[in-house]
Amino acid sequence: MKFIGFNNYVEVLQDPLFWKSFKNNLLIVAASVFGQVPIALLLSLVLLKNGWFQKFIRASIFMPMVLSSVVVGIIWGYIYHPQIGILNFLLDSLGLGSWKMQWLSDPSVSMYAIMVPIIWLNVGPYLVMFIAALQNIPSEIDDAAQIDGAKGSRKLFSIKLPMIWDTIKVAVVLCISGSLKAFDLIYVMTGGGPAHSTELLASYMYNNTFSIYRFGYGSAVSTMIVIISLIMVAGSQYLMKSKK
Amino acid sequence: MKKRIALVAIAALLISILAACGGTNGKETTNEGEKPATGEKVKLSLWHNFTGDDQRAQTMRSIIEQYQKDYPNVTLDIQAIPPDGYKTRLKTVAAAGEMPDVFILSNGSMTQEFSAAGLIQPVNELIDSHPEWKEGFMPNSFDAFTVDGNIYSAPMGLSPTSILYYNKSILEQNGLTVPKTWDELLNAISVLKGKGITPIALGNKAAWLAQSSIFSSLADRVTGTEWFLKAVKQDGASFTDPEFVQALTYMQDLGEAGAFQDGFNAIDNTQMEQMFAQGKAAMMIDGGWALSNLASNANAEALEQMGATVLPTIPGGKGEPNTLSGVVGVGMGLGKDATGTKKDAAFQLIYAMSGPDAQKRTLESNQLVSYKVELDKSKVSPIFSEVYELVNNVKLTPVYDGKLTSAGGEAVNNGLQELLMGGKPEDIAKKIQDAQSKALGQ
Amino acid sequence: MSAPMTRPLQPASSSRAEAGLPRFRWLKSKVTGAALTVYALVTLYPLLWLFISALKTNEEFFSRPFGLPSHWNWSNFSRAWEVAGMGIAYVNSFIVTILSLILTLVLGALSGYVLSRFQFRGKLLVIGVFMLGMLIPIHSTLVPLFILMNKIHILNTYAALIMPYTAFELPIAIFICVAYMNSFPKEVEEAAQIDGSGYWGIFFRMMLPLALPALATVGILAFLRYWNDFSFALVFMSDPKLKTLPLSLSVFATGYSTDYKLTMAAMALAVIPTIVVYLIFQEQVMKGMTAGAVKG
Repeated sequence: MKFIGFNNYVEVLQDPLFWKSFKNNLLIVAASVFGQVPIALLLSLVLLKNGWFQKFIRASIFMPMVLSSVVVGIIWGYIYHPQIGILNFLLDSLGLGSWKMQWLSDPSVSMYAIMVPIIWLNVGPYLVMFIAALQNIPSEIDDAAQIDGAKGSRKLFSIKLPMIWDTIKVAVVLCISGSLKAFDLIYVMTGGGPAHSTELLASYMYNNTFSIYRFGYGSAVSTMIVIISLIMVAGSQYLMKSKK
Repeated sequence: MKKRIALVAIAALLISILAACGGTNGKETTNEGEKPATGEKVKLSLWHNFTGDDQRAQTMRSIIEQYQKDYPNVTLDIQAIPPDGYKTRLKTVAAAGEMPDVFILSNGSMTQEFSAAGLIQPVNELIDSHPEWKEGFMPNSFDAFTVDGNIYSAPMGLSPTSILYYNKSILEQNGLTVPKTWDELLNAISVLKGKGITPIALGNKAAWLAQSSIFSSLADRVTGTEWFLKAVKQDGASFTDPEFVQALTYMQDLGEAGAFQDGFNAIDNTQMEQMFAQGKAAMMIDGGWALSNLASNANAEALEQMGATVLPTIPGGKGEPNTLSGVVGVGMGLGKDATGTKKDAAFQLIYAMSGPDAQKRTLESNQLVSYKVELDKSKVSPIFSEVYELVNNVKLTPVYDGKLTSAGGEAVNNGLQELLMGGKPEDIAKKIQDAQSKALGQ
Repeated sequence: MSAPMTRPLQPASSSRAEAGLPRFRWLKSKVTGAALTVYALVTLYPLLWLFISALKTNEEFFSRPFGLPSHWNWSNFSRAWEVAGMGIAYVNSFIVTILSLILTLVLGALSGYVLSRFQFRGKLLVIGVFMLGMLIPIHSTLVPLFILMNKIHILNTYAALIMPYTAFELPIAIFICVAYMNSFPKEVEEAAQIDGSGYWGIFFRMMLPLALPALATVGILAFLRYWNDFSFALVFMSDPKLKTLPLSLSVFATGYSTDYKLTMAAMALAVIPTIVVYLIFQEQVMKGMTAGAVKG
């Protein structure tokens, strides 16, 4: 190994593929932050009771997480399958045949097609986090609010959300860092293709490191991922701070 | 003060947990290390990826067991690594400079990269000491393992990559014959397409399939082998040359003629083989590896219907028509740290795993070999023996990713996906050229 | 399949506004319930699919991916167990996962306590360093970690997995704990201090029990990560006697083909502990609620 200065970094920044992966990854970050977190938050508010029904629903929502991405990838692969896929079949039977798509191989829709399973898969952990935080709100505060006449949405925004705001912030950080490292599911579903159209930063890094065997270049990409994550995490925390 | 106690407590906890974990295993290794070296006792590490339940893996494992019985003085430290992770693990360890003594080595770019880094040793000595074995290999078998005149391994298998498999009854029912020329192929495609039958099944999700199976042979027909080998070395030929652009155009024409089913970039090669096996497509262009999949996933009736041939000829092409792209399989490589008695034992192991007897047993487990063996047809499926005949009677041409650098190969893979989605052949040729020349320059 | 994803949103969001006629509210809760049930079935289905697929032949797996097997091949499970050597892998996975989990929870809770309830110089820096640890893509650490572990001779020991697992999960554990402990009222410690408890006393008697839901959350996430990790186990463990479950699950793929029936059977067997662990920890997450502390 020899020291080659910042050549690898320069090359990373000049590679259009890196920027394409970056753009794709931004989409995934957006889908995760604005998809997973709000859905998990809403579900946690509805599922806060400890009845058997709520327990069952909560467990079900978490179940995709326990499955290997291979299984999730195969199932969604069949949902989107060009010939025998459920989605195209449903569209056909609803008389929406013209909406049928090559969901995973048409670059104009493939990124969006991938977002759906990513959101669907990851709601569970945030749901658990929010439930834990929500049930930590002391009952006195809740009662006091009731007496003050705070109800419904006002109670939600003036009491509940501020009380779990720290947890929401952590969830957003996890979401951003997780999305920037997202790799498994895409790898199984499209392998980053066709023609790099669903390449993400982590798969770009992995390919360079283990397919093309350039460890130095792969490390440079990793460093870029860390820097991008840091900027986005810092930005999100700044935005959310002002809101409190 | 209290903080300090807390720190100490954490540290103590950590140490005790780690010590507990490391303890038993640590002891084990030191025991083995301190074993008195009585006579010729040798410890050898072997890495392989024959972990599965398939015939080939079982055969190879039994060969290794036999070796252990035959050479009781050799203690094998066997690491069976799942194929999915084998390369990742090997490359990580190689990057850290730690090589196993005997391991599965891929030919082409991996052999070149490892030999350039001084991570492997040549095995010329072993091959030269068994002349009858050396003679038994098919011509050019060692080429892909040779760097600067040194041979680094002997192939344990053979992968023809571009066999045109066809379904006899579908072709017959539609009044078609097996396409021998490009025009016949295009005609067959339009006839089949008119009847709503997928002409050629394709599963190109992993991106290497179109390159390895279709394009390697198609491009060779157009450009000839000599041009390709020059372009690989960037010596007097470039991937922006008109003949290569023409080869890309042929490939694109095939796609535009509707040869493949919709969404071929979203399904993998196993699903493609299933499509063909279930009679949902008239043809499929795939490698020799499909044989074991077909044998285990298709019923006997379906297997009866299958035939195999080479890709059709191309009008005015510079390449030889009756050829098949193919590459020898992996071989056992010798790590840099195997010296002295270790090296002798390693040679014995390599010979046991890739010698004449092992080649024969491999062939009988439905895996083609690059070695002259008389095939006992009762032991394999009919389509296997048909492919065996085919491979023994045509010349093999290079496979693209076997010759190109890793980066160049990736560029072709992704370029073909782009091409089949409507990309411009000239632009794709340029990208391939850039990737290859850059990788060579490093 | 994507349609039900958004469906529960509407009833759920409208539940914010609790004002309204009683009959409307009754209807709303029914609609919410129905929508949740549909959503739950959509998320539960893959698990069912996995167990059904494990009973098929390879041919059926491809020709009728969503159908039932014509013959229930229970032997797939025993075959997968045997071929993949899952018995020993199960034991190893349990040892590695549980030790890592204990380490993560202990260190996470202690660090969370300090970082949430104390003010000291350099606190932001400490938090920043942990944050960095969370952002590093693990694949890029394989080579340096391999070299490091090789030098200190812990490759091929349980420690080679336990240490990086704990290190990479700790930031998440700490962040969840800090966020959770931040919301405890100051009186919690003051009361304990009046009782004469030291820091350890406060930690064990007040913080730990109160933070149980957060620790259970951390526990669920960490268990999943450790139980399913492939990369570290692949590179740092070479002794077949030490291999963990994810490694043994991948033996059915040969690079050109995958024996799906056995892969699915092995995965189904491997997923059972994660479900059990989720259910146990989930009870802890909801511990505080049994006292009827919160209304929905």
